[in-house]
Amino acid sequence: MTDLYELESVPGMPRTRFGRAYLRYAVEPWLYLSPAMLLICLVMLVPLAIGISYSVQSINLLNPFATGFVGLENFEALGDDPRFWVAMVNTFWWTFGSVSLQFLLGLGLALLLSQPFYGKRLVQALVFLPWAVPTFLIALTWSWLLNPVIGPLPHWWAAIGLLDEPYNILSNPDTAMWGPILANVWYGVPFFAITLLAALQSIPGELYEAAEIDGASRWQSFTKITLPFLGPMIAITVMLRAIWIANFADLIYVMTGGGPANSTQILSSYIFTTAFRRLDFGYASAIAVALLAVLMVYAAILLFVRSKLVKF
Amino acid sequence: MHRLTCATALALLTAGSAQAADLTLVEVITSPERTETLESLVSAWEEETGNSVEIVSLPWGQAFEKFATMVAGGDIPDLVEMPDRWLGLYGQQLMDLSPYVDEWDHADTLTQASLDMGSATADGLLKQIPYGFYLRAMFYNKDLLEEAGVDGPPETMQEFRDAAAAVSELDGKSGYCLRGGPGGLNAWMMMAAAMRGDSAFFDENGQSTINTPEAVEGLQFLIDLYQDGLAPRDSVSWGFNEIVAGFYSGTCAFLDQDPDALIAVSERMDADSFAVAPMPKGPGGKAFPTIGYAGWSAFDTTEHPEETWSLIAHLSSPDSNEIWAKRVGVIPIHEGADQNEYYQSEQFEGWFTELNDSAYEPITMPTYLEQFGYFADSIALETSQQALLGEITAQEMADQWGEFLTEQYADWQETQ
Repeated sequence: MTDLYELESVPGMPRTRFGRAYLRYAVEPWLYLSPAMLLICLVMLVPLAIGISYSVQSINLLNPFATGFVGLENFEALGDDPRFWVAMVNTFWWTFGSVSLQFLLGLGLALLLSQPFYGKRLVQALVFLPWAVPTFLIALTWSWLLNPVIGPLPHWWAAIGLLDEPYNILSNPDTAMWGPILANVWYGVPFFAITLLAALQSIPGELYEAAEIDGASRWQSFTKITLPFLGPMIAITVMLRAIWIANFADLIYVMTGGGPANSTQILSSYIFTTAFRRLDFGYASAIAVALLAVLMVYAAILLFVRSKLVKF
Repeated sequence: MHRLTCATALALLTAGSAQAADLTLVEVITSPERTETLESLVSAWEEETGNSVEIVSLPWGQAFEKFATMVAGGDIPDLVEMPDRWLGLYGQQLMDLSPYVDEWDHADTLTQASLDMGSATADGLLKQIPYGFYLRAMFYNKDLLEEAGVDGPPETMQEFRDAAAAVSELDGKSGYCLRGGPGGLNAWMMMAAAMRGDSAFFDENGQSTINTPEAVEGLQFLIDLYQDGLAPRDSVSWGFNEIVAGFYSGTCAFLDQDPDALIAVSERMDADSFAVAPMPKGPGGKAFPTIGYAGWSAFDTTEHPEETWSLIAHLSSPDSNEIWAKRVGVIPIHEGADQNEYYQSEQFEGWFTELNDSAYEPITMPTYLEQFGYFADSIALETSQQALLGEITAQEMADQWGEFLTEQYADWQETQ
């Protein structure tokens, strides 16, 4: 009875349950929302549902007639597939290496760029340039730079003692992952710099002034003011970039093709190989669903951390 | 009223040329020179017959997936440049060309090998007129061999290893331009066959022969070359461009390649400083260079079978084929090619020796297996790199290959 009483007390709520006015009240808002919802359904949910439905089917371009529902067979095969687990571990290192280096360098760059100095605008523009270069071009350029026949990098590294002889790090399974990570860091630092710079500029200057008056050191004002204010932004950019990079196979595909001996194969390049070399779209979708699940868990953790960081 | 007259005139015009066919031709191994040559050959045919042809050029690196998507999506061309390894996959959808070839003027000079290889499909029908052969032979750098004190190209695998070792003694030089990356399967198969002294990929029980002790010895031969430093350290991930560059830059002295590499090599090296020898022989006195091919095929869904055949016949005629073979670097398909002055040089000697001497038995890869492309481009690539790097043994690699190939062969036999 309390429910009914509360409902009746809502202003504008018609009394009769099946009256025309009630219908209007309940349906009309959805009508206004429908274009946006329809668009979301068509563009996002429908393809997602189709993709997930592939993962429980046998879809092989080579056997078009053997298509059909196979239940969780594709997922069971994942467990016994050593390539899948190698790719999973590689995906972790690829994402972790790229994101952490991009973040640290991007933060440093943002702090430098937030200081006033002569020619700041020009430097800012130049710093953001790598973000505008097509990734295939970046991959080709870096693979030539790392090639000892043409590129200078192996010779420099050998000269300072990083390498025992000038060889191509992409052809050594222990070091191959560094090649694409290096290219990715070069490419991705501007993104962090841009977003963190924007967040830095929104920190009120009075806080620093007050801290200075209270005699705080530079390090103290960095850890007590800058970092807490940047925290939520850092969490959200790190999350976005990590998801992005985990799915980002262009650089690896062009630079190493997943090799040598699978040492740079990540899940998204393995999905591509399975779909377009083995022509097994069902299994490829199962790997994609596994990747989706891992990324969703990761995103949930990061969003939780972010909610802890937002204090005001 | 005016519009109506125009439309009628247009309709009449189109009716006048109702006989002309619009064909689509997909080129899958694309390079600017190839496309140009193909366009000039095709436009000669267009002028002669009044038909028109649309050429779709796919870059080779993405050709497989793009073409598979095209065909699966119903966008099926009339003609396609079909590499050998796709014949097994598309064989069922292709037009049988034998009735046309029976009535063809130039059928007599077509070599038997061309007909055999064009029929390498599940049903054994002629589904393709090859346009040329990619036969493996050994390029060698004469200057480097001389410097290392090796006289003449190696005849046997032992001599090959010794020569490679001698060159590797030189500062900054290596013996063999090993192809550890994409496309490296041929060398593994040739070495395994040479050690076995036999070319059959499967025995009478349908078992793959790749993991027999002799074949494993052949695989071990290449692994040893790499691990003993007779091939460049980077070569574990080298593909076509890298091995060819390694050869013409003088980094490594031996290169096993097809005639198409000759184009890049002879542009950058003096004709005096390199030559091409047959592949080295195994202990049984025989060598088994791999032979590959590509050619013209027609889909049976075409609405203009006559015109499509006419275009294939035009492209495969002795004159067109000669132009094409020279430009793209393949061994021609008609008899009497070795008499041509162009093929009389020292650079072509290796290939024609392999074709004419019975000690050399060209082998075709088992491209009729449905998943052969996946085997060559993924499984073999990955495991051979693991073996070169010492992560798995030659026997483990051979067992993985054997298992997959045996399974595939059984599937293939079922469809026979």
